[in-house]
Amino acid sequence: MNDMLIRGGDLLPPSLHTPKSTVEVQNEAKPFSSVLKDAIADINKLQVNADETIAKVQLGNTASIHEAVIALEKADISFRAMMQVRNKIMDAYQEIMRIQV
Amino acid sequence: MDIFTSFKICSSGLTAQRAKMDVITSNLANVETTRTPEGGPYKRKTVILAAEPVADVFGTALNAAVRAVKIDSIAEDGAVKMMYEPSHPDADDKGYVAKPNVNLIMEMADMITTSRNYEAIVTAFDATKNMALRTLDMGK
Repeated sequence: MNDMLIRGGDLLPPSLHTPKSTVEVQNEAKPFSSVLKDAIADINKLQVNADETIAKVQLGNTASIHEAVIALEKADISFRAMMQVRNKIMDAYQEIMRIQV
Repeated sequence: MDIFTSFKICSSGLTAQRAKMDVITSNLANVETTRTPEGGPYKRKTVILAAEPVADVFGTALNAAVRAVKIDSIAEDGAVKMMYEPSHPDADDKGYVAKPNVNLIMEMADMITTSRNYEAIVTAFDATKNMALRTLDMGK
């Protein structure tokens, strides 16, 4: 995966990776796989957060319904963003695989 | 900039409107209450809202302008309505009972405003979400 380096952190929306990883990607060309791993970890965190909020609502604790719905929407949108990134990567990969040798 | 900033602001707005609705319901439920743990009749309550800065918004230009909302405090209306009801156990020696200063019509009007505000914020949330989804569809 090291030969598929993506320079510049513009591939992912700013919300999908931490500022630290942006700087690293720009300076020393962090391997693309770890950028993707970070992004997936962030998205997973949002999904877990949504689950926790729903559990809180069901247990009748502090969280209110709209907080749960908003947490779900956040998770949904970030997941869709990740899927778009994945689709682009797959397109590029398939394009490379189609090269005649 | 983060599309989730709008979500945060929507969330704070919805929480504020929910709190207003809670207080209005409390006022309506206690329209006849003459006894409270603090003594005296129930006091009509109103929510005081305050603007709150949102962390990491858009950048410096909008940082000063964009504000979420928070519940600042709950104000109490100290006024009471004196009603002549000599048979009431809480009546004073002249036969007057101190009742909460709750006006049913005002509370209903507040309730309509609050529920419409809530709907407006939900609409803003949907619009923001649609913007995000349209952005993801870009270039397809």
